[in-house]
Amino acid sequence: MLRLPAIATALLLLALAAYALAAQIGARDKLAALEPQPEARGDYAITLAFAPERFHQVLLQDKGRLVAVRGHTVYMKDVEPAALRSIARNYWVQSVARWSGS
Amino acid sequence: MLLLFGAWQLSVPLVGMSSYFYPAPADVFAAFVDLVRKGILPVYLADSVLRYLTGMVAGATLGIAAGVLIGVHRTAALALSPLLKFLFAIVEVAWIPIFVVWFGYGIETIVLALIYVVFFPVLYNTLLGVRTAPQILVNAVRSLGASRADVLRLVILPSALPGIITGLRLGAGFAFRGLVFAEMVAAKTGIGYLIFEGAQSQQTARTIVGMIVMGLLWLAIDQFYLRPIERATIQTWGLTVDAAERT
Repeated sequence: MLRLPAIATALLLLALAAYALAAQIGARDKLAALEPQPEARGDYAITLAFAPERFHQVLLQDKGRLVAVRGHTVYMKDVEPAALRSIARNYWVQSVARWSGS
Repeated sequence: MLLLFGAWQLSVPLVGMSSYFYPAPADVFAAFVDLVRKGILPVYLADSVLRYLTGMVAGATLGIAAGVLIGVHRTAALALSPLLKFLFAIVEVAWIPIFVVWFGYGIETIVLALIYVVFFPVLYNTLLGVRTAPQILVNAVRSLGASRADVLRLVILPSALPGIITGLRLGAGFAFRGLVFAEMVAAKTGIGYLIFEGAQSQQTARTIVGMIVMGLLWLAIDQFYLRPIERATIQTWGLTVDAAERT
């Protein structure tokens, strides 16, 4: 009788799991360019596929100190390694690069 | 639905207004794709669903508990009824500014507003269900030596289930409307905020995306969860004609 809610929930959970897995793989690929892997706070340039909107800036501000936005790139300081991984998991983040901070 | 979209698209050149005033379905679809590509819609949708579920579960739990308590306990009814009637008269819209002052913009304020919205329809429908439980069945179970807890479990709750489910459906609908309003006023994310912010920033197509997503979300909740659960609960536990015939 409750087959429909069970199937809907299972499909939803499956989709969420697939999304989480894809995000994890995407993050690993984006961070692979950062050898050696970050172990302390650092400064990074986060490039998006489009000009960041307020939504993206607010979200990134939670992960570190947002210093500047130029074109499609957001420049950030004092980003923890865990926060950087969480940034890279967003599919709308195109690439992550070290930044000299100036 | 397709006819509606077709008529909408065809009406755009006839109306002759800019896409800010009257966006075409193609503009709305482009806005939808843009919101997904930029990761905005998935986050807003997830935030809205989380707030809705939290508010719904908490409000329904409190509503059912209060409805049963007031329904079976005379002293509780006497003590709580005036307060509940007083609170019922104060609509949730009036509480939101106070909640914002106390808890700020975010999930706490919205969930509290939703609890408030869900609580009353669930409470009053539960109460109605409890109070209309067949006295003959209560007496029959009592005569067999049942305790108060047994009477509650075997007669009152099954009798109240159709009322509880009606309350839940009403509450679910009210909560959905409450969610949109609360997110417009007290959030910086969510589908309600998307609707509001789209209009504020002259991105009308985004507002319409928000409205369509809201409608589709409600359809999905109703179709995949509320209706099947209502059917299953009443058939299994409710004292309906079907159930009576089977026993």
